[in-house]
Formats: sequence, C-alpha cells, structure tokens
Amino acid sequence: MAVSLGYRNVYRDPFGFPKWQEQGLPIASSPAGLVAPMPADRNPSGDGSLQGWAMLWTLLGIFAGGLALNLTPCVYPMIPITVSFFGGRTGRDQPGQIKLVFHGICYLLGLALTNSTLGVVAALTGGLMGAMLQNPMVLTLIAGVLVLFATSLFGLWELRLPGFLAQAAGKSYSGYFGSLFMGLTLGVVAAPCIGPFVLGLLTWVAGMGNPWLGFLIFFVLSLGLGSPLFALALFSGQLQRLPRAGGWMMWVRKVMGWVLVGMAVYFIRPVLPETLKIALPVAVALGAGLHLGWLDKSPAAFKIFPWLKAGVGTLCLVLAALWITAWAMRGPGIDWRTYSEQTLRQATDQGKPIIIDFYADWCTPCRELEEVTFHHDEVVRQATENFVMVKVDVTRGGDPLHERLLQEHRIQGVPTIVFLDARGEERADLRLVDFLPPDAFLSRMAAIKPAGSAR
Amino acid sequence: MDVQKRTSSGLALAAVLMAVVSVWYTERPVAPPQTTWDAVTAEAKAGGYALIATEELARRHGRASSDLLLVDTRQEWEYRTGHIAGAVNFPMEPTWWARWRKAGELEDLLGTDKDRLLVFY
Repeated sequence: MAVSLGYRNVYRDPFGFPKWQEQGLPIASSPAGLVAPMPADRNPSGDGSLQGWAMLWTLLGIFAGGLALNLTPCVYPMIPITVSFFGGRTGRDQPGQIKLVFHGICYLLGLALTNSTLGVVAALTGGLMGAMLQNPMVLTLIAGVLVLFATSLFGLWELRLPGFLAQAAGKSYSGYFGSLFMGLTLGVVAAPCIGPFVLGLLTWVAGMGNPWLGFLIFFVLSLGLGSPLFALALFSGQLQRLPRAGGWMMWVRKVMGWVLVGMAVYFIRPVLPETLKIALPVAVALGAGLHLGWLDKSPAAFKIFPWLKAGVGTLCLVLAALWITAWAMRGPGIDWRTYSEQTLRQATDQGKPIIIDFYADWCTPCRELEEVTFHHDEVVRQATENFVMVKVDVTRGGDPLHERLLQEHRIQGVPTIVFLDARGEERADLRLVDFLPPDAFLSRMAAIKPAGSAR
Repeated sequence: MDVQKRTSSGLALAAVLMAVVSVWYTERPVAPPQTTWDAVTAEAKAGGYALIATEELARRHGRASSDLLLVDTRQEWEYRTGHIAGAVNFPMEPTWWARWRKAGELEDLLGTDKDRLLVFY
C-alpha cells in the first residue's frame, strides 16, 4: 500500500518479529503506561459548589444523559408497563386530556423521587450501587410482577389496575396517588440500568458532600430518563380511545406480553443455575416465535398481516437459533481463581502480574466483560500464560473477606478490574470500571506485563 | 390460508438454518493459515514491493547511518509486548477498507522522502 503512495524503496520482512527475536537481535518493548490514556469517562471535577450558568449547563447535560439512558436495554420493561398502566387506566375511568397530563406528571415525579432517593442514599452510605438488587428474592419478585402483567396482555385476565399494585395499595391509591406510586415502583425497576453512568455521578456527588445538590442532580437525571415515558403515557391514553381496529390489536398486545416475559427472564437470569441461564432465554424466544407467528389465531384484518406475523415469529426463532449456536460454539473462558493470600503470594513468587475482577451477577457490564472479553481467544491465552486471574464475586454480600477487599482497594462499584504488577502493587492508571472490548483490554494487559516475557 | 402457512413455515425454517450455519461458519475454530513461501512471493510481486530476510534486515538495522524506517503493522498490544528496536507501530488490518481509511495517516507517518528505505513487518 505504501507503493501506491509513491514510495519506491519498500520491503516486507515476511518472518517478522518472531524470527528476529529468536536470533537475539535488538528488541524493545513499551509496557510502561499507555501512550494515549483511554477516555475512562472521568467525572466532571466539581469544586464543591455550582452556581449560575455552570449549574444550569451541568443540569442540562445531566438531563441529556438521562435521555440517553433510554437507549440502555434495562428501560425496556418500563415501556410496556407504562402502556398497559395508562391504557388500562383510561379504559376504566376515562379521564380528560388535562387529567391525563397530570397523571403523567405524577408518574414522572414518582419515578424521579425513587431514583433520587436511591442515589442520595447510595452516595451517603458509599455502598455499592445495585446492592438492593443483588437479593434473589427481589429479582424473583420483579420477574413475577412482569410475568403477571404479561399474562394479562395474553388475555388470561383483564387488567383493571395493575394486579400486584391493586392488592398492595388498595382502592385509596387509585387516583393521582396511584400514578405516583406506580412511578415510585418503576424507579426500583429502573435502578440497575443506570449502571456505570450513575457510578461516575455518584462519586462526584459524594465528593461534593451536599445531599441536596445530589438529590437535585439525580432528580434531573430521572426527569431525563422519564420524559420519553411521559410522552408514551400520553400517547397510550390516546391509543385506547381510538376505535378498536380489529383483532390484530390483540396480537400486538401479545407481542408486548412476550416482551415482558423476556424482561422477566432478563431479571431472573443472574440467579439461575448455569444451564438454565442459556436454556430459559432460548425457550422463551422459541415459545414467542411459535406463538406469535403460527399458533395465534387472531383474525387477519388486512392482507399483509399473516406475513407480518410469520415475519415476527421467524425473527424470534432465528434469535433462539443464534443464541444456542453461539453458546455451543463458544470457546473456553478464563480460568478464574478465588481470592486468597496464598494465590497472591504465589503470583508474586512467579513474577506474574495479577488481575482482580470485582464482579457481580446482577451487573450488566460485568457479564458483558465475562461473555465477550474474557472469552476472546487471545485474552484467554495471555491470561493463562502470563497472568494470575482472580475473581471476587460480590453477588451475595456479607462475606467479611470480600468486604475487606472492597475497602482495601477502595472499590466504588462493579465492575472494577484492578491490575497488580509483578511486585503486587496496583497500577492505578489501568484500573477499569466499565466494559472494555478485547483489543483495548489486551493493550492494558501488555502495559503491565513484565518486560522480559515477550510472548 | 393453508398455502400461506406452509410457505411461511418453510421460509422460517430456511432463515433459522441460515442463521445457524452463518454463526457456525464465523465462529468455528480455524487453524492459523500457514502461508507458503510461493504465496508470499506472489503477493509481494502483485503488491510491487520486495522481500527482505531477517539476516539482511539485521545487517541494515545495525548500520548507524541508514535511513531505514521500520513499520510494525501488528496490533498495538502486540507491539507493546515486544517489537524490533526502533520500529514504529502502525496497526493495520489486511482489508481494503483499512487500507483506504488509513492511507493519509500512513503518508504522514512515512514522511515526504519517497526514496526512503521502508520495511514493513
């Protein structure tokens, strides 16, 4: 390619580096630090107070961040719930347009209140974000509620008030308070999806030491997060007042039901045993495909409808097939050790650097790291040959050893990946708090590898 | 209706099969390709560049007053782990897209002297 640029004296050494090294010719390596520090998503540096324009711009930025959070998958369960809640509501007591706006606002406020409370509490206690959701009971409960909604969408029972809430809250909550309460509950569902973004924000808020400002910041964030839902709430109210457009609407409801079932699986997956982790999503996709595509008997309202059904069904089936093949084809992953002083001492004796992965099942970037980066062929090879890989699984809290490690390494949340060099000292510039693709991870591995071992 | 159902099931089955096969094809373990010497020379001829052996390169590398520029085209992490002394890193995937995209960058790196001795590896 240099030739096409007009260079005349171009050579290629087909033997490359391995042979050069073999013959003991001069080599160099540059493991000392990263050439260009990776944009590790540093938080804006606050000087303790924000005033005037700076405040306004910060809040606007946070609002935009909240809007952007709608692109993360954990917001999906809130969409069908919002639709079914507001759809069911208007179907029952037919409020006017103005009333609907107020309901929407109450809903939004509820959502914002939960999130900001969670945010402030987490900031003040310095605890791990998502700690509330590490409990299998909570996860099972959330999944249960989602499935309950789904069965209603399938037409097994009529949704008057959202079932679980109706029993819990009783009749007195059905007004604006009902909408507020709904928003409050949904805030809990949304909490895990705020993930790494909030982690940066949390440390910033904690650094400023002002709970009111923290509250405000998280409130604005939730407003950003919730405003598309607000629009959706208004829209779904309108939707129900349109005349019934035929049996195909029933089919659309079933689609939403399956989306809810899918989300239930997403929530419950972390606490499932290894085989069910792959089997359950595949089974759901399979079931959804067959049901929506072929078994459902909704009458065809227009000509393309059967093809639309078959198309959606095929999509689900293909998804199931993709998952199962990808899983079957997947290579071996990293052989993680559990943390012990002995493992660490052994690594130092062998002159091997240590990588400690603070991991939890409920954290999405952690799982992404595990499934993509830590299953990458080259990463696995490097890890087995030159590193000691230690995983600290904090999915279930309360282990005194883990608590001590979290303190010792000043872990603010998961994922956190700590790189210790061959002498056992941390390389703070390499520390990782988010998903990183294999290539970039290999760069970090290369940066800490002892200069002597070239391969 | 029945015809429609049969066709759609057939299409769905075909789509599923295609998905499975394509995943299998892209993910299947492949032995790293062993390029023969003939293939390397043919490629060099087509590309209009010459080949240089390790010994020859070492001789030129040792000379202090050479205008040699060594370019390491491997990935950054490979370069970091170890590279020929004095080489610069220019990660390059062997695809026409990467070539087209990085042409300007490469020209900046190589400089204006078109007669300079360039060795890629």
